[in-house]
Amino acid sequence: MGPSRAVNLPTMEFLNFLLILWAAWLVWRRPQRESLAFGLLIASCLLMALLFFVGARGSIVPGVNL
Amino acid sequence: MRALSEERLRAILAWVVIVLVSGPVAGAVLLGVLDGDSPCILCWAQRTSMVLIALVALFVLRYGPRPRYLGMVVLLGVFGQYMALRHSGLHLARDIGQGFSAPILGAHTYSWSWFVHVTVLAVVGVLLLFLREVASEGDREPRGVGRFAFGLFIVVVSANALQAFVSTGPPPFMGQSDPVRLSLNPRHWVWSMDELTSPAPISLRGSWTVPRPEATAAAADPDPARGPLANLPTLTVSGWERIGVPLEGTLRGLARDSATGRYLAVTEGYGVYLLDSTTSRVLHHVALDGGFSIDLAPLSGAAFLGGDTLAVVGTNKSWVLLRPDAAANAGEMWRRFRATDGGVSELGRGRFATVRARQQYVLSLAFDPAARELITVSVPSARQRRLVVSRFSRRDRMLSSEFAPRLGAGLAARGEARSVAEYVVTGAAVADGRLYAISAAYSTLLVVDLATRTLQAAYAVPGLQRPVGLAVRGSQILVAQADGRIAAMERPAP
Repeated sequence: MGPSRAVNLPTMEFLNFLLILWAAWLVWRRPQRESLAFGLLIASCLLMALLFFVGARGSIVPGVNL
Repeated sequence: MRALSEERLRAILAWVVIVLVSGPVAGAVLLGVLDGDSPCILCWAQRTSMVLIALVALFVLRYGPRPRYLGMVVLLGVFGQYMALRHSGLHLARDIGQGFSAPILGAHTYSWSWFVHVTVLAVVGVLLLFLREVASEGDREPRGVGRFAFGLFIVVVSANALQAFVSTGPPPFMGQSDPVRLSLNPRHWVWSMDELTSPAPISLRGSWTVPRPEATAAAADPDPARGPLANLPTLTVSGWERIGVPLEGTLRGLARDSATGRYLAVTEGYGVYLLDSTTSRVLHHVALDGGFSIDLAPLSGAAFLGGDTLAVVGTNKSWVLLRPDAAANAGEMWRRFRATDGGVSELGRGRFATVRARQQYVLSLAFDPAARELITVSVPSARQRRLVVSRFSRRDRMLSSEFAPRLGAGLAARGEARSVAEYVVTGAAVADGRLYAISAAYSTLLVVDLATRTLQAAYAVPGLQRPVGLAVRGSQILVAQADGRIAAMERPAP
């Protein structure tokens, strides 16, 4: 039995890896789709940064003396 | 030296992808499968960053070194370092060997992430340094090692995607700050939205958002009637005195030596004054160099440590030991003092390290001659709502003990929401085994029994304005104010 469900938000690590795999596949097998692949790369970077921010928003700066 | 050809660059990048993907990225999956290691939400982002760097390398492998690829990898390297520092910052100050999840070759994974991202930037720099300046050869079908790099990337990232599915779930679930052990048994899978739904406000510095204590003390309500403790007896000021010599800067702390009657005053601007028993003559004076080499922060407390040794402390719990010295080495002391009368030597400076009072400033310093310990009292803040008495060994200035005083018999808070953590102690001294502390908030004298760690008594002292120091003179308590006036009152009987 799977875990509990919650509200819908299309941001998560699994989806990000799918985006990356899609981009890599395009670069390798469909090189003429470079623009789409680069767009996926950008989207994945933003998603990664957003996910990190979700986990780090309580203290954006490293929690040490500055 | 021969310049790096684009063909050679592509071959090197293929190996970079192979090393990056088969090393930290595949290794992380193996840690999960073999050891149950499960990344937290921050780990996932750092791992993803490494995968994205490898992906950018595949772009270059395929299309050549276009500027936007180089821009992406530099941005990823910089952001990856930020992520690694932010994540490591949670653990870097822990004790030896402590950390999150299992270490690899003596370092935890978030530390390795920093190393990997620094190395990536270094490799990019070296490759650009030697790259031949010719037009790009454009799109090329990867062959040999390049093809292998593509295949390995697909396989390893697929494995990561599978692990992400198992441990974080499909949309809309995401990684957790404290994940459970990885298991292929669906009954143990935890798919959570807690990171998003938990009430964590956006903050730049989190628990390190602590206001300056001087501002806290200056803004404190001086009315004892509104204090957190109910029905306190009143201690009447029996007389007013004044420091008899002009001091440079506002008074920040005062101590008295019971053996000689001398006073030690510290002022804004790192001034330290040794005064005679009438406070009408300056015996010695120095202005410390507050920024070199230890940041002292504004001075906020003073104490006599017995003999001729003087101690002063800054709001950030950095301390300096001084001693009157007729043979003070002027050349040696030039680096310690901004100004000196030539008769004082600095014995040393350092920082008190606290545990319970961590992330809290202090505005007081006392010395317990019986235990031979220095004492500070922390200033509460909205982030750290506690009043902590910290004791440090006279011998090595290391922490001996810490406690939050319990309310003694006869003392009661005005309500459940009120506590002694509302007091802002700005001066303290020890006499007869008790710590006498004056609070700028609610003008209250606190009496702490050091043996039982109990707030034994508290007294309202109406009429005070910005108290900054406390000293004991025989049967009297002296409370020094920022304006240089000193309120004298009878020391309450135990």
